[in-house]
Amino acid sequence: MKTQLTLTPDPIDELALITEREMSDGMGAALVFHGVVRAQEGEATIAAIDYEAFDEMACHQFELIFEDIDRQWQIESIRVVHRIGVVPVNETSLWIEIIAPHRAEAFEACQFLINAMKERVPIWKRPKIEASSNSSQSN
Amino acid sequence: MTVTVQFWSYFKDHTQCATTSLELPDGTTLGEAHTAVIDQFPALGNMRHSTLKAVGVDYQPDDFPLNDGDEISLFPPVQGG
Repeated sequence: MKTQLTLTPDPIDELALITEREMSDGMGAALVFHGVVRAQEGEATIAAIDYEAFDEMACHQFELIFEDIDRQWQIESIRVVHRIGVVPVNETSLWIEIIAPHRAEAFEACQFLINAMKERVPIWKRPKIEASSNSSQSN
Repeated sequence: MTVTVQFWSYFKDHTQCATTSLELPDGTTLGEAHTAVIDQFPALGNMRHSTLKAVGVDYQPDDFPLNDGDEISLFPPVQGG
């Protein structure tokens, strides 16, 4: 299984990612998921989320999750992009692409990846109430 | 032995620092080191049971034996996505 992980402060360029897609003849599913910053965080209306990552451990934990997926499903490739730093409302903070022979394993692997990420990958967020650099604690 | 401790997310707000170092007796476990950190930074005590603990880039249990030079990380539940 091919994997590609990017942690980046830059906006996610989906057009470029799609252009770079590699998919062999036997694959019938290309699943793309966008995690998008919502304007509501709990009861607060926010302007953005500021993501912080322990980069080295986050990459290692993602690799372990990829290994778990490779053991459970027939997947040709996974690409993950997670933004770090300030991501405004309505922008994508998480982009996932899974290429598989059929949709079932693609959906199952994507759900597993996101659930595992939210349990294990050391990335945290702080909602930003104002458009300026002020932030508040998220929990 | 000496270990370093890194704090992440709002734990840094409670400690007012990103890292500290601890002098510990040989054979100290990760859980015992966590207790020593809370002694130094009591504000972390309220989050004791929800604190995630890693040595290097791997999560480890409280009975994990530490070695000189280990890098411990303490942080709140993760929230990626």
